[in-house]
Amino acid sequence: MSAGRDSMGRMTNTTPVIEVRDFTMRFGDRAVVDRLSFEVRAGETFGLLGANGSGKTTTVRALLGIYTPTAGRLLVHGRPFDPAADYSLGYLPEERGLYRKERVLDVMTYFGQLKGMERSHAALWSQDYLDRVGLSDQANAKLTTLSGGQQQKVQLGVTIMDDPSLLILDEPTKGFDPVNRRLLLDLIEAQRAAGATVVIITHQMEEVERLCDRVLLLKDGRAEAYGTVADVQDAYGSGIVRLHFSGTLPEADGWRPLTLERNYAELELAPDTDPQALLRRLVDAGVELRTFDASRTSMEQVFLKVYGHAPDQGVAA
Amino acid sequence: MKLHNIGTVIAFEVRRTLTKPSFWLTSLSIPLLMAVVFALMWFSNASTIASVDAQREQVVSFTYTDASGIVDPAVAADLGGTLTTDAEGAARAVREGNAELHLDVPADPSTEPVRIVGADLGPIASGQWHVVARDLVEASAAERIGDPVLTSVLTSVDTQAELWKDGERSAGLGGVIAPALFLVLLYMAVLMLGQQMLNITVEEKENRVTEMILTTLDPRVLIIGKVVAVLLVGIIQALVLIVPVTLAGLLIPALAGGGAMATASGMEGLDLAGEPIVVDPARMLVAAGLFVGGFLLFTGLLVAIGSVMPTAKDAGSAFGAVILAMFLPLYTATLVLNDPGSAVSQFLTWFPLTSPVTALLRNAMGSLSLAEGLGVMAVLFAMAGLFLWAGVRLFRQGSISYDKRLHIAKAFRMSGRGEQA
Repeated sequence: MSAGRDSMGRMTNTTPVIEVRDFTMRFGDRAVVDRLSFEVRAGETFGLLGANGSGKTTTVRALLGIYTPTAGRLLVHGRPFDPAADYSLGYLPEERGLYRKERVLDVMTYFGQLKGMERSHAALWSQDYLDRVGLSDQANAKLTTLSGGQQQKVQLGVTIMDDPSLLILDEPTKGFDPVNRRLLLDLIEAQRAAGATVVIITHQMEEVERLCDRVLLLKDGRAEAYGTVADVQDAYGSGIVRLHFSGTLPEADGWRPLTLERNYAELELAPDTDPQALLRRLVDAGVELRTFDASRTSMEQVFLKVYGHAPDQGVAA
Repeated sequence: MKLHNIGTVIAFEVRRTLTKPSFWLTSLSIPLLMAVVFALMWFSNASTIASVDAQREQVVSFTYTDASGIVDPAVAADLGGTLTTDAEGAARAVREGNAELHLDVPADPSTEPVRIVGADLGPIASGQWHVVARDLVEASAAERIGDPVLTSVLTSVDTQAELWKDGERSAGLGGVIAPALFLVLLYMAVLMLGQQMLNITVEEKENRVTEMILTTLDPRVLIIGKVVAVLLVGIIQALVLIVPVTLAGLLIPALAGGGAMATASGMEGLDLAGEPIVVDPARMLVAAGLFVGGFLLFTGLLVAIGSVMPTAKDAGSAFGAVILAMFLPLYTATLVLNDPGSAVSQFLTWFPLTSPVTALLRNAMGSLSLAEGLGVMAVLFAMAGLFLWAGVRLFRQGSISYDKRLHIAKAFRMSGRGEQA
């Protein structure tokens, strides 16, 4: 099975790495996830989105065998997840930590071995990684003596050890400082470029737009939207035009103003309105345009439409 | 069950324990402390014996009265005594510091004490007045008897037993020692390793590392690997304890031979009545089986408790209950040994938590039949398996219950359907 991207950077392989079919998970009488189906293809970066309590983390935990599903099938490379399988997994859970009383190099080497690396190779890899992130002098320090940011770097190193072909990152930037957030995004990009399949569970819609090929929006345990980022954006709004101008805008026809100021406007287009046609209309109406920026509805706005609140204002699970 | 990564888990756990200075400090401190204590006891005892001997050889001048007529004046004179009829005057002389010792021997020394009025030479040295008083009466009595054998018989008689059971020579007390060692071993193993067993599943939860671990190995592998690692560490710890003691015994034969050490440690109280230590293979096999079953049972129980508790501190409080269950049979040992067929004895023999100690005790004393032994073993292994199974199940359910105690009933109710407790 090969994975890659075309000259435009689009994912080209459609082989599913993850298959979820009719997955249901009950907590007592409450169905946290209800008959959920989706798949993640080889080489793509997939976003699992949703408000707190919508079932994202539960889905991943069931996928990785930490929970046993109430019903349905969750497969990785065509089989239920098996830690002993021959593919390599990099998992960064939402609740994360390491053996704090142990030495950095020992912990990294241990996880490398658990992932199938030889002890000596794991130690070398770890030392090299620590060099790269500026922690080589802390290799023999106990984790508990490291700062929070340094511990995050070690955690990231453990996640990407053995160049995983499948990366699952649950709220990857949660609690990370800006430096480590940048480091994480670079590491994700590097893994992606190397052909890894990446699944990101996040609230950060900006990251979704930047990183993801396809997304699944979960609401109350059900798939609310599923497809490419563009498909989802189109499904929840046809487009936005932002313009700086002089003059008077013509009467709204095929669009409605979201923001209208003296020299700036944000216009939401009707589904059948072409931005090029709007541009022609504005020019014909004598509007002097300094900027004209047509874009799809942002994922932030999609989230707002689906859940009724901003991503960072979700209710606790 | 595939044991994927079990070697890695065992190696990591053993290595990280053995590389901690605290492990060696703790392990070595036990034999070191024992050596210091035994050395102090040996020197103290040797000093006391020397002091008592010196006091015996020292002639003390004293006065005495004799209402019994037992005291031989010649014996008294040899000991430094002078007969007086003025008891009050002699006592006053001591009180005023003009004499060291006066003794009043009563009319019947077998029922009344000899009155001692002596100078206070300190709590230890003043003890010699008692020695003088006893020597005075005992030596005079022996002189009256006039036969050294009779005198010796009055003070000490040795016995040697030949016990029979069901037509066969019984080992008696000599047969108790070897199987009873397994009981001692069980206590040592649980007391030394119990806390580590309890923390086996707690550490991953406390460090929020469970989820990452569970994507690299099966929880059963993690638990089995950690149990094996704790056992290996325990064996190393035992060797650290035993090797110095054995070496000391070999290099200093006086210590191994007893003598002053035996006296100092109170070992002279362990009288096998001349019977040699006997090793009964059947009883030893049953003891070994009970030990292994009992140890596995407590291991499984402690792992299960650790799986429920969110922190080591919470788990530690449950450890006390387990220890109580281990010591309970000792409080009822007399009843169990005297009447093994009673309802209480039977309950303690078969109830899983009290069973290992009770059965080992009865087996050592020879009141546990082979059939009972095998039956108890079966119960212990079955319960150990059940506890370990429950421990793994609860660990899986409670592994991401990071901050709260796992609701056991809910966990089991849900685990069948794969839900979160």
